[in-house]
Amino acid sequence: MVLSGWESVFFWVFALSALVAGLLTVMARNAVHSALFLISTLVSVAALFVLLGAEFIAGVQILVYVGGVMVLFLFVIMLVNVSAEERGSEELFNRTGQVTAAVCFVALLVFGLFYAVNQSAGSFASNRSEGAGAARLRTAETGVSKISEDTQRVGASLYRYGALPFEIASLLLLVAIVGSVLLARTSKQELVADDVDPRVIPELSAAGELTPAEIEAAARAKAFEV
Amino acid sequence: MNSPFTPALALLQGGALDNLQQSLQHPDLSKFLIIGALLFSIGVAGVLTRRNIIVIFMSIELILNAANLNFIAFSRYLQEQGSVNAVAGQVFTVFIIVVAAAEAAIGLGLVIALYRNRETIFVDKIDLLKW
Repeated sequence: MVLSGWESVFFWVFALSALVAGLLTVMARNAVHSALFLISTLVSVAALFVLLGAEFIAGVQILVYVGGVMVLFLFVIMLVNVSAEERGSEELFNRTGQVTAAVCFVALLVFGLFYAVNQSAGSFASNRSEGAGAARLRTAETGVSKISEDTQRVGASLYRYGALPFEIASLLLLVAIVGSVLLARTSKQELVADDVDPRVIPELSAAGELTPAEIEAAARAKAFEV
Repeated sequence: MNSPFTPALALLQGGALDNLQQSLQHPDLSKFLIIGALLFSIGVAGVLTRRNIIVIFMSIELILNAANLNFIAFSRYLQEQGSVNAVAGQVFTVFIIVVAAAEAAIGLGLVIALYRNRETIFVDKIDLLKW
C-alpha cells in the first residue's frame, strides 16, 4: 500500500492537522475550545479514511461522532460550570507526580515506536539495496471509482459475518439510552416516577432538593393511580 | 553489533536522505500506523494529565479514533494483499463507533448526575472513595 502524487500531499496535510488539533484538544484551557479542536481532529481522520478507501466509515464518523457525540459533549459542557478553569484560578493539569508519570508513559510509548520503526527500517534498507527503487512502488488506483462496490462489501460483511454482534450493538445502544435517561434525572423526577425510597424523602427535603409541595404532589399522584 | 540502532546506522550510511525523501513522497502503511500511535499517545497524555472530566472523555474518544485509524489502514493493506475478508477491519470500526457513542451517552449522564451532587467536574475533587 503506497500512496503517491496528490494522495501523499493530502495524507500529510490531514495527518498533520489531525495531530496538531489533537494536541490542542489536550492543551486547550476552555473545554468548548477542546471540543471544537476534537471535531477538527475527527474530520481530519475521516479524510484519512477516505484516502484509505473507506468512504462509508468516513461518513459514519462524520455523522455519528461530529453530528451526534460532539453535540452531546457541547451540551454537557454548557450545562456544567467550567468558568473556574477558564479564568485560570484553577490548575489546568493534575499534580506534578501524575504529570511526571504520564510523561514517562508517553516516553515509553514513543521509544517503543521508534524501536519498531528502526527494526523495520533494516528490512526497508535491504529492500532498497536490491535496487528495486521507485519502479517497485505501485500507484494507488484512484482512476477507478470504487465507492459503491466497497460500501456494498462492507454491508455484506456486516450482515453476514457480524449479524450477532450487530444485534448486540443495537441492544447496547438501547441500554445506553435507558441508562443515560435514568442517570440524568433530578430527584423530583425520580419522586414522580416513584423511584425514591420513602425513608430517604425526609433527608432529601432537609437537604433542600425536594420542597414539601413537590412531595405532596407526588403522593397525590400516587393515590390517584391506586 | 546487535544494538537496536544498528539498522538506523546502516540507513544513515546508505543514502538516508534519499530514503527519507522517498518515504515522505510515498507514504505507506507504516505512516498511518505512526499517526495512529501519536494520536493514541496524545489521548493517553490527556487522560492522565487533565483534571476536567469532560476533557478526559474527549481524550478517550481520541484514543478510540487512533484505534479506528489502525483498523482501517490494515484493512486497506489486506485488501491490496488480496485477503478474502479484508473489510473485517471496517466492520470492526463500525462497532467501535457504536460503543464509543454508547460510552459517551452513559459517561455524560454520569457527569450530569455527579455535577448535581458534588458541584464540580474536577477529578481530584471527586475523592469520596479515596482512603
